[in-house]
Amino acid sequence: MAGVDVGGGGKGKRQLNMEINMIPFIDLLMVTIMFLLITAVWVSYSRINANAQIPGPPDPTKEIDPKAPEKVLNLHILDNEFKLVWKQGATVVSESTIERPRLQGDFKYDDLAAKLTQEWTTHGGHKDQSDKVLDQAILHSDNKLIFKDVIAVIDALYNAQRDMMVDGSLKKVPAFNMSFSVR
Amino acid sequence: MSGGASKARHGHHDPHAHSIHKPGRRLMQAVPLNFVFNKVHGVGARSVSASLNLTAFIDFLIVTVIFLLMSFSASGEMIVDKNISLPQAENVQEVLDAPMVAVNGNQVLVNGTPAGSTRAIEDVGRMQKVDEVFELLKRQREMWKSFNPQKPFPGVAILQVDENVSALVVKSVFQTAAFAGYPNISFMVRRRGKPAQ
Repeated sequence: MAGVDVGGGGKGKRQLNMEINMIPFIDLLMVTIMFLLITAVWVSYSRINANAQIPGPPDPTKEIDPKAPEKVLNLHILDNEFKLVWKQGATVVSESTIERPRLQGDFKYDDLAAKLTQEWTTHGGHKDQSDKVLDQAILHSDNKLIFKDVIAVIDALYNAQRDMMVDGSLKKVPAFNMSFSVR
Repeated sequence: MSGGASKARHGHHDPHAHSIHKPGRRLMQAVPLNFVFNKVHGVGARSVSASLNLTAFIDFLIVTVIFLLMSFSASGEMIVDKNISLPQAENVQEVLDAPMVAVNGNQVLVNGTPAGSTRAIEDVGRMQKVDEVFELLKRQREMWKSFNPQKPFPGVAILQVDENVSALVVKSVFQTAAFAGYPNISFMVRRRGKPAQ
């Protein structure tokens, strides 16, 4: 069926040409392919980040830094619209709304994603490549909202991306760091 | 077929008798022409059986095996609760090795250990600390710290939440994890392909 010719093989000597049976070899390859196909992971899971920033009580030994508060995006998920409010401390810097479409099947807010990217370009405070801090976004949602709707909004929020220098190389990272509002 | 011919071929005495004959080719067997005979018997035609070149076949199998071995991931499989249907997202990151908190329609599990009821959280109707989740996560954190006394605790936990669970339950578990020392929380999702730009 198949052979390996290594030449040589004189009179009286054993023949150097060997016949390899290909059938077990093909069987082995087939079984390996089947094993790998069966054990392969076809669904790839990923993660989407959130951050629970819970400020603790002020440390009495440390001096309070009188720094101006940063601008924070408050994203309200209302029944028919999304309300985007940039606040600096208690001061409202900017406020805008965008219609919330009724989603069926595929939960994805493309218009919101585009609007959030535009908002970050206008109001975002951390744009430098060497800046490791991200702009903060706080999500305000109704308690009855289903999780896939929440994830669709977080996904739209993370659509806004910027360049950041990480370990000496430039990487695309989400422009916002998201947290939930807690009442 | 005439009665005489039939008798001559099969040796029947009665030309009108209906008997069972030996199976075999019948079509155009009685046509007394050479070219018909050759056509019927396949004389000069291409052989029905074809030979397969094994070298190309084995090359193909080896390439397939190598490709599958390269893409095989023994550690990439994450254990996801079978009662959980994860939502889809586009802007995602790779999954980390961290404590898993699973939230399905009925219960909350920390690394597979039951740690509270989803219904109980919904019945209260306001955000609350889930005590069992808090205790289990706190224990995990303390264990990690005892094994790694020199390293700073990363505080990362991964939440596997069913897509139809209410935001109240999600926020309650999220807050509980934060209280237990896990402020960096990630939600496990199914990756959705990005549309072409």
